Amino acid sequence: MKSRLVLIGAFFLCVMILGCDLQTEKKLPYLGRREIYNGYTFYHTIEDFKFVDQDSNYFTQATFKDQIYVSDFFFTSCPTICPVMKTQMLRVYEKYKENKEVAILSHSIDPKHDTVAVLKSFAERLGVESNTWKFVTGDKDEIYKVGQTSYMVSAVEDPTEPGGFIHSGAFILVDKQRRVRGIYDGTVADQVDILMSDMELLLKEYE
Amino acid sequence: MNKLIAVTCLSVMCAACTGKTGNSNSSVSEEVKLEQYIVEGRTLYLQHCSSCHQANGQGLARLYPPLNNSDYLNNNVEKVVCNIKYGMSGPLLVNGIEYNQMMPGNPRLTPLEIAEITTYIYNSWGRSDGLVGVLDVEKYLKNCEEND
Repeated sequence: MKSRLVLIGAFFLCVMILGCDLQTEKKLPYLGRREIYNGYTFYHTIEDFKFVDQDSNYFTQATFKDQIYVSDFFFTSCPTICPVMKTQMLRVYEKYKENKEVAILSHSIDPKHDTVAVLKSFAERLGVESNTWKFVTGDKDEIYKVGQTSYMVSAVEDPTEPGGFIHSGAFILVDKQRRVRGIYDGTVADQVDILMSDMELLLKEYE
Repeated sequence: MNKLIAVTCLSVMCAACTGKTGNSNSSVSEEVKLEQYIVEGRTLYLQHCSSCHQANGQGLARLYPPLNNSDYLNNNVEKVVCNIKYGMSGPLLVNGIEYNQMMPGNPRLTPLEIAEITTYIYNSWGRSDGLVGVLDVEKYLKNCEEND
């Protein structure tokens, strides 16, 4: 009778230990469409692009080689959600500006007004100094396309909207293989908290 | 006898309420008016202004100037009122720091709402500059239109 109890106790102990071990293995999801071919899964990735950053340098996927990054879409004259997004993104910037494995990419959806000079001035006034946070402009159709198809967020011109554009306040987390690992509402501080803890998880994947 | 006392008390109370006793009563109603403006102004400020100027009025880096401890507010109510309604652009010096980001206007705000927001700004974060009344705001707004 006693040995039976010990056996049951030991069984439960094993289950608990195994259970705990499994729980700490949290991994970020892969967002977007995926294809399975010959047993190998192809995840949705960000397509190639070519934009210009605030220092007049060409900006492509190669610029962020070996870095995970957070991406968003905004425009400098935006009166509604962008200031909140920038305040939140500043939190991410402050936390990771010294980390060589992290970058931030803000696309302007109003390239007509947001020239390189305007973006440079904006970045400086925001207090962004390092190479961590890039503000890019480029061909408008290309920017809208990359937003829609690669990052899966939307932006559209709307003259009735204050500022002239409706766009998503999303922050998109991309890993080193250019796969989308998370989409967060950049206007909500709690979601940005989750983004930052997910970034820690993602960085651990590369340790 | 009781009836007489009751009537006397009532009359005294009524006399007090007519305000003829002078300063103490009108300043109470002025205080109430100021409080009302501030409370309404705060709600409007949070709704229309705080996304750039922040809930605590500190602005954002060198992009959006502060209203909290801002020298721009000194002796500048008329300009502040015009800015709220029509926005502003061009370089601007606040507390010795240069800003140059376009501020969008709020054309749909009524003069009363602007008066409330302005009163809130001028009576928060260490300031207590008193009421900015709607009649004054209407006057200032007429002058902005001439300049635009």
